[in-house]
Amino acid sequence: MQTHSSQFDVIVCGAGHAGIEAALAAARTGAKTLILSGNIDTIGQMSCNPAIGGIAKGNIVREVDALGGEMAVTADVTGIQFRLLNASKGPAVQAPRVQCDKKAYQFRMKHTLELQPNLQIFQATVTSLVFSKGKVVGCKTNLDLEFRAKTLVITTGTFLKALMHIGQNKNEGGRMGDHNAKTLSNSFIEAGIQLERLKTGTPPRLLGRTIDFSKMQEQKGDETPTLFGFYDTRGKEELFHVEQFGERKLGWKPGTDQVSCWITYTSPESKRIVTENLEKSAMYSGQISGTGPRYCPSIEDKYVRFKDKERHTLYLEPEGRNTDEYYINGLSTSLPFEVQNDLIHSIDGLEEAQILRPAYAVEYDFAPPTQLFPSLESRKVENLYFAGQINGTSGYEEAAGQGLIAGVNAARRARGEEPLILKRHEGYIGVMIDDLVTKGTREPYRMFTSRAEHRLLFNHSSAELRLLHHIEAMNLVPPARLDRIKDKLKQIEHWQLWLEKNTTAGGSWGDLIRRPHTEKELPKEFEAVSEPIKKEVLLRIAYKGYLEREKKQIKRLSEIEDTQLPKNINYLEIKGLKKESATKLEEARPVTLGQASRISGVNPSDIGILLVSLKKKTFKTD
Amino acid sequence: MIDSDTIVALATPSFESAIALIRVSGPGASVLATDILGNCPRPRQAHHGRYKDQDGTQIDDVLFCFFKGPHSYTGEDILEISCHGNPFIAQKIIDDLLSRGCEMAEPGEFTRRSFLNGKMDLSQAEAVMDLIRARSDRALETANRQLRGVLGKRITLLAERLLQVVAGIEAYIDFPEEGLPPESQKKHIENIASVAKETNKLLATSHYGNIVRDGVRTILIGEPNAGKSSLLNQLVGYDRAIVSPEPGTTRDFLEERYMLGPHCIRFLDTAGLHSGARSIEKLGIEKTVEQSADADIFLLVLDSTHPPPSLPDEIRDRMTSQNTLLVCNKSDLNELKEIPEEYSPFTRIKTSALDGSGLPELQDAIITLVESGRTAIGEDLIAISARHAHALSEVSQCLQSAQERLESEEPLELVASDLRSSLDNLGQITGRIDNEQMLDTLFSSFCIGK
Repeated sequence: MQTHSSQFDVIVCGAGHAGIEAALAAARTGAKTLILSGNIDTIGQMSCNPAIGGIAKGNIVREVDALGGEMAVTADVTGIQFRLLNASKGPAVQAPRVQCDKKAYQFRMKHTLELQPNLQIFQATVTSLVFSKGKVVGCKTNLDLEFRAKTLVITTGTFLKALMHIGQNKNEGGRMGDHNAKTLSNSFIEAGIQLERLKTGTPPRLLGRTIDFSKMQEQKGDETPTLFGFYDTRGKEELFHVEQFGERKLGWKPGTDQVSCWITYTSPESKRIVTENLEKSAMYSGQISGTGPRYCPSIEDKYVRFKDKERHTLYLEPEGRNTDEYYINGLSTSLPFEVQNDLIHSIDGLEEAQILRPAYAVEYDFAPPTQLFPSLESRKVENLYFAGQINGTSGYEEAAGQGLIAGVNAARRARGEEPLILKRHEGYIGVMIDDLVTKGTREPYRMFTSRAEHRLLFNHSSAELRLLHHIEAMNLVPPARLDRIKDKLKQIEHWQLWLEKNTTAGGSWGDLIRRPHTEKELPKEFEAVSEPIKKEVLLRIAYKGYLEREKKQIKRLSEIEDTQLPKNINYLEIKGLKKESATKLEEARPVTLGQASRISGVNPSDIGILLVSLKKKTFKTD
Repeated sequence: MIDSDTIVALATPSFESAIALIRVSGPGASVLATDILGNCPRPRQAHHGRYKDQDGTQIDDVLFCFFKGPHSYTGEDILEISCHGNPFIAQKIIDDLLSRGCEMAEPGEFTRRSFLNGKMDLSQAEAVMDLIRARSDRALETANRQLRGVLGKRITLLAERLLQVVAGIEAYIDFPEEGLPPESQKKHIENIASVAKETNKLLATSHYGNIVRDGVRTILIGEPNAGKSSLLNQLVGYDRAIVSPEPGTTRDFLEERYMLGPHCIRFLDTAGLHSGARSIEKLGIEKTVEQSADADIFLLVLDSTHPPPSLPDEIRDRMTSQNTLLVCNKSDLNELKEIPEEYSPFTRIKTSALDGSGLPELQDAIITLVESGRTAIGEDLIAISARHAHALSEVSQCLQSAQERLESEEPLELVASDLRSSLDNLGQITGRIDNEQMLDTLFSSFCIGK
């Protein structure tokens, strides 16, 4: 084993959606960073559906953009179909979704990493971690090269002891065609980090020219695309910087030449095929021990759990402009190949379809995230951070959000600075990380808007405004962009006030805006304002009562949310605290009282007692 | 609106007494005093004044006493309001303070604030900790006992139904492309309305909702000049209704609240019922029929000197032996005429509004009815606490708002916000309903998964 001569601030192990954001965030905030990947041709690969965003997830992408991340811009410039979901259900729960060109997305991400100052890319598989005195100090690779760093971020996705199932067939690997990381799990176990199993799956991919689209319903993109990036504050010099100022062109003008998706349905024959072959499915024959996601059930699950439902909707989604490969959304399965083939052929328009890649289920190790601090640093090993699927999440967006936070925090730790922690009322990323580290997860964790108690505050276009104080405090964007965000906020506040103060027939403009279902002719001065500002102002005015209710709740909870718990407080010795609650708190070791209040089994009277003990300083520490 | 950190609670027991004390603590106390009184009273001096609610309606003559923090029990600014010891009045004042932005105090919260602000030494603080502990455990025990009973079953059922509605709406929001059943808006509205109805029913049976806030609606009906108004005056002890020997004096409604033992009785005096009435009287009679629709108790007042009248069917149909007393008035004048067969199941009380005889018996009979009326729903419901009732009334308001917004096709996210609020409030009774429970319901009810 040879040690690499450079000492890094941050090493990121894995170059998926979490790893990319982690590496970029660390490098962009000034840390000398190394990103390791077993195969750099798979940087930013979309292992499942080639789409970014969707309900709640789209909001995360915009938060990532607000915090200086890359996912948003790359999705925008490699998008081939753009749709705004939930458009009719109100601005807070709307979200953009974009179908991406899978290869273009990867290429652009790889190139973005290549261009990033402070960041080094290297192809090697991490085989183990190097510890010293309870801290991580580096990692070893399959090339017998050892790398040293002040902090490490683990973003290995589904690759730990990964096992893919197609019927009774089993292959080791985290994604079809790729290797798996067998030995790294042992390093975690050695460090006292517990691992558990989860399961996920992916549907078959089909060859487009063998599909009869005339039997399907076309689903077109929106004429005007809703983008993820905040181009009004990013400014021209940052806009599509790779495309416009680089030599190479890796993308196109968002919204041009959109490609359609197609909708079809399963048939009664499909139901027969699945139900008659259930025992051959890896999931149903007891081959798989991990827990799968309820929101993304296999077709087997759908037929078993919803017996009365005659047909299920399926979406054919193109994987790119320069390929004829289609992803069949809604048909995840672990049935054997022959059965998959029959199943595909029983579907309208797919009678003759050829499978390019079969569907499979994958089982993998994850490290239950309750072993992490809200900074995403391990409680067991200092300087070791975890982000993405290894934390039990699912989805590129969830991974990117965690990656960014872990990257920023690893870099800050390397400099001895306080971590970046988003609160539950600040954005989906805050909700997600708090859920993960406080409650953990029993299935691959996906974000839903309903997980956020304050989701009315989380409209996708307000991400920059909500997160402004963090963006500024942590230096996450260039100064010029920061100024533009501040200016935007100022204008929004100005117009909000103006519309409430100035009157028209029958009251203030604000009252008029709040009246539902009225034609609103707004004052000319205001009509002239830019679209993003106008939208935000109108939302704030129309939802005034609701937003005030949210803010009131937040304020009321702030006392406990903001109270820090001492690191080594001994809960068992706190007078008046029930033993069960004390034991739970000892186990979970929450960082704030707010976090403590969300631990199941800890009730409000326990929190009251803790609060008293903290103020009176009657607690003991170990 | 004042700072949300300001709490209010009734400091004296919720019974009829000479004086009730309402205590407000927090940064908003002085602003409130100024708003209500016109100026902030000098600390530690009693000020006499009128308590007017936000609409300017006078509630009671009260004494205000202001304590400037830190020289107060909690260490914060405190406003104490002493009003007349009628739970109804006290509740009105508390309702007004809540609408001005105060929060209902949690059990033990005044004490908790007190030691957090250094008003107690360590040993006192520890004693209070034990107290909080004891209180919450006892509260938990009481809650568990209640939750095993009739009340618990109904509230749990309500929570489950509400959870279904919420899961349905959330599924539409979080999984817009999953080909969910095209459940119409109408279905959601129906479901919400039915949960709201059930909530209101529960609320109406609660001690707070029914007895304290609304009172027991007791309606006096009978022929013109049977002496209903005189009887009411006798019952409440002063001339409230205009009495005259001219039949049909009471054309509109007179309403009087009166504490009968622990119960607040809301007497409604009505226009006399008789055929061949003049048009203005007819209007009054129609109103009597209308008011009878939600009366809790009927006092059928008969003139002993006249043959008993026949009642409109709408009223007669609502009368049972469980809710009706037959008051044979003017017993001083004459012997009782024969009571028709159809009134024979009702308990009969002889009274004379003129000399007051039979009144104590009538009062006792009313109390008996009020208390036995409850047994239909079970003694459990009486134990519903003010806090629970407060939560239920929040649930009711949020559901109403959700329903209205659905009907007027406002964005679904606002409907959802109202529904989540109602679920949170219900959770204060049944224990917190966390998001996992909602998701469990959602995933077991809808086939999600593209």
